[in-house]
Amino acid sequence: MRSSLQKLVTERAQPWLGTIVSIRADAPQEVISAAFEEVALIHRLMSFHDAASDVSRVNREAHERPVAVHRYTLEVLDCALRFAAISNGCFDISIGAELVEWGLLPRPEGATARPEGTWHDIQLLSDGSVFFERPLWVDLGGIAKGFAVDRAMERLLAEGAEQAVVNAGGDIRVHGLTEPIRLSAETVTDTMPVLELTDGSVASSSGHLQRRQVQGMTCGPHVHGVRRQPAPADRFVCVLAEQCVAADALTKIVMAEGSKSAGILREFAALAYVHDPDTGWQCISEDED
Amino acid sequence: MKARLIFVPLAGLAIAGGPAYATVYLSVEQAQQVMFPGATFTPDNRTLTEDQVKVIEKMSGVPVRNKQLKIWRVSTGGWFIVDEVVGKHEYIPFALGLDDKGNVKDVEILEYREAYGGQIRDPEWRRQFVGKGPDAKLQLGRNIRNISGATLSSRHITDGVERLLATYAVVLAKAGH
Repeated sequence: MRSSLQKLVTERAQPWLGTIVSIRADAPQEVISAAFEEVALIHRLMSFHDAASDVSRVNREAHERPVAVHRYTLEVLDCALRFAAISNGCFDISIGAELVEWGLLPRPEGATARPEGTWHDIQLLSDGSVFFERPLWVDLGGIAKGFAVDRAMERLLAEGAEQAVVNAGGDIRVHGLTEPIRLSAETVTDTMPVLELTDGSVASSSGHLQRRQVQGMTCGPHVHGVRRQPAPADRFVCVLAEQCVAADALTKIVMAEGSKSAGILREFAALAYVHDPDTGWQCISEDED
Repeated sequence: MKARLIFVPLAGLAIAGGPAYATVYLSVEQAQQVMFPGATFTPDNRTLTEDQVKVIEKMSGVPVRNKQLKIWRVSTGGWFIVDEVVGKHEYIPFALGLDDKGNVKDVEILEYREAYGGQIRDPEWRRQFVGKGPDAKLQLGRNIRNISGATLSSRHITDGVERLLATYAVVLAKAGH
């Protein structure tokens, strides 16, 4: 067992998924490199910007014919559909159309009309390909980072790491830490909220940074999947869950639904801390084990 | 899942070495060995001419701020370049590894300073810390990190890589290796 030896803790950072991904673990450089390779693969598969990615290919072709995709893409789509079903479409990866319209994502090459499809139109076929019943643009920006963090962490643990932190721009998973990581949020009054985490995942969202005025609405990067309107841009949300993909996706549901998302959080044994300018801090789903 | 949210009175916090959390990830030598294990590195620094700067800026669409290039030839083939980009507030040094065809092999961020929110940089806001809680366990900037999206920093690094790829085409491709 390597655990009897004092293992060297290494931390590295690389730019992926539109953010900076950092990985810290008690593991050799080759293991950290392997974990980054998982993140890089997911970046290449799920980029909305890259015309050769799985996401761009399905957005271009899947309404015409089934498109074969990598098993990771299939897994993320499957996961996204589960979150869509459980939230009655509040979490909907077909919001690519709105994000393009609001200028938060680039218009896909050659695209003309805005597609009208929703998550209901996405079919994952038994042969591992994807088919859309109507044209639609999926954007995995609300779930791919969390998924990548989970894959990187799995890789680290499979290679023998015992203490690890993977952070993709605030989507964070930690394992086996003796000293917790401490995170602060920017919403500060006379006290500073500090989250201590030693095991599990956290994701957080705040619409402030990317919001802009479109058609008289203040639009943050979060869209209510059913109402097709921006979620409250002043809200700050932080979700804790075992898996980072759940924390990441649930953040969007809580951002859109606020305290109404308590039931969904409970199903994932997750909890959320929410800050609204008027009501201050609120903890949703307090009955954690 | 093991976590808790605590509310720390600001008066109980101490500022550790400035308002930012600085992480040194890799030294230049460590980055070299991560990207090209076992290789040896020969410095091959260059200074860009005005004409080269113009071509690089046109090709990459990214302004060239520094004409001095820190470049190493790699014994096993390829190039290793250390450069920096301007992040939200500060410089972010990074290393780029290119294979012998000039394709990106790896990008490693060498050092990263996370800026805190505007209210923490604001001198009025910071004044409340001065002279308080010298023995506080929690230190802003040392063991409390800001939740940060880092979207902008990431974009600047991507731009920096584009600029260096254009630099490779203009300065290094002909040199062959």
